[in-house]
Amino acid sequence: MLKPVSAAARRPHLSGKKFWMAAAKWVFLGITVIFTLYPIIYTILGSLKTNAELTQGGSFFPSQWHFENYYKAFMEADFLQYTVNSIIVSLAVTLLAVSTCSLAGFIMARRDFPGKKLLSAMYLSMMFVSLGSITLYPIYEMMHALNLHKTIIALIVALTGGQAANVFLVMGFTKAIPRELDEAAIIDGCSIYQVYYKIVLPLTKPILAVVALFAFRNAWNDYITGLVMTITAPALKTLTVAVVQLKYSVNAAAEWHIMLAGASIAIIPILIVYLFANKQFIAGLTAGAVKG
Amino acid sequence: MKQSSNPALGRKKLKQALEAYSFLIPNLILFLSCSIYPVLWALKYVFYQYGGYGTGTPRFVGLENLARVFRDKVYWESIVHTFTYGFGKILIIIPLAFFLAFLLNTHKRGHGAVQSIIFLPTIMSSAVMGLVFYLLFNAYNGEINQYLMKAHIISQPINWLGKDHAMTTLIITAVWGGLGNYMVYFIAGIQQVSTDAIESARIDGANRLQTIWYIMIPMLGPILKIILMLAITSAFNDITNVMVLTEGGPNNATMVASLYSYQYFFPISAAQATVPQYGYGAALSVVTACIAGIVTVFYLKLSKKLDDIY
Repeated sequence: MLKPVSAAARRPHLSGKKFWMAAAKWVFLGITVIFTLYPIIYTILGSLKTNAELTQGGSFFPSQWHFENYYKAFMEADFLQYTVNSIIVSLAVTLLAVSTCSLAGFIMARRDFPGKKLLSAMYLSMMFVSLGSITLYPIYEMMHALNLHKTIIALIVALTGGQAANVFLVMGFTKAIPRELDEAAIIDGCSIYQVYYKIVLPLTKPILAVVALFAFRNAWNDYITGLVMTITAPALKTLTVAVVQLKYSVNAAAEWHIMLAGASIAIIPILIVYLFANKQFIAGLTAGAVKG
Repeated sequence: MKQSSNPALGRKKLKQALEAYSFLIPNLILFLSCSIYPVLWALKYVFYQYGGYGTGTPRFVGLENLARVFRDKVYWESIVHTFTYGFGKILIIIPLAFFLAFLLNTHKRGHGAVQSIIFLPTIMSSAVMGLVFYLLFNAYNGEINQYLMKAHIISQPINWLGKDHAMTTLIITAVWGGLGNYMVYFIAGIQQVSTDAIESARIDGANRLQTIWYIMIPMLGPILKIILMLAITSAFNDITNVMVLTEGGPNNATMVASLYSYQYFFPISAAQATVPQYGYGAALSVVTACIAGIVTVFYLKLSKKLDDIY
């Protein structure tokens, strides 16, 4: 009781009613924050407990900090390999998404060419038509026909996908850059490739950063594509796939701590990215970078 | 105008087109092979019976697959579950996200931090968090029941993932994962509503609630429409969370349409073996996409009607 009174006293302009409104607001926000953070904190603290402590419950912090859970996950459950896979796949997808969308978005914004209308219509329709994960099967079959189905390339290509929404995003951003800049460069003797590389590419960096951020997030967090594309090549499994499959291991009931250590390994890198780029993530969402 | 009459101009056009396609090619390869081709593939195999590589050639069966979809009781139940899931999620997430946006849209101390925290789940893997929720909601060893029993809110452990509660649990986790997205959409929307209108309403003596109800919500109309549409279409596509947390079970209680067609292609869990039926699976997902399309069109018509009333 003492605390709120003193807080109110420090701010004399806060009348009684206003103070209680603010208090109610922050209590509500506090509950929401706890609701949001609880599963994440449970994962990270749980990854340092023993299985018995986890399943019997009762303690918020681990009674002893068992960092060897991570050692076990990395070494005995092979997570070192899966982490490397996840890093390779996520970086490759990010690079592929950014480069292809940048090139395509630039030309869609700047040139008219035969077939442009049709292509625009196809990009747009693919943003709205969704057949769900079943489209992974034809992609898998295609990779099989190309004899790529047991390589990491299959997973990278399938995860990058058509990128229709991102092409539109880059196109919209490029359209807002004055054409006079290109025209001046062309008069000065630049080819279209130089215009792209020297003028437009540097100016589209902000939107490419958004594309990169979301491509990386999607690739790192993906589960189903990784699951499907590595069915015949288990050594290529990504981290998320490996973590979830612990649920089906023979002694799953005795391995909650390993599951949570694996889960932590999967979420901590993206948490670190978020720590530095949370503003960009939030701004990127309203730039239309993600659907749903 | 007439290109053929001027060979130099024609050649220039050709060169420009080639240049344009040299920029497009990398994305075009990905787009055609990963977006267009799979859709055409699915549309073709709707009419075939096909068990995949090494099971003999696909057999043309005409409309048999589609007819089977309409007879498939489990599928229509999965459509009902999809709607239950979608409505449940929307009914909780939209008001809650709006309220949070309303509280947090100004630049006050602490608001940015709270926004960042509430947005946090949207950047995390729904599969990994699905596994975590699977542990948290475990009936006997899960922490949720342990806390609830310790607080004497319940005396018996609730079987969160059992037949009666699995859908509720699924919706809770979906709200957890999506709240931040919708909050940010609403904040963007509210910041577009002109502050002039709100201020003049306040000067005219409207209280806070009246301002929200008569000024803010109507002015948010267009953006609310987009947000609701995103919510509806995404409800049809949410699959990862269901796949990891409940696997569509128990006894199909949480089987949503997208997962139902998925299982004709791939096993849902490592513990399950399936005999793939690609033709039938393709038919299921095409029908589901049509239903999602119909719902969207219906929604757009309805929201247009509401516009006219205003």
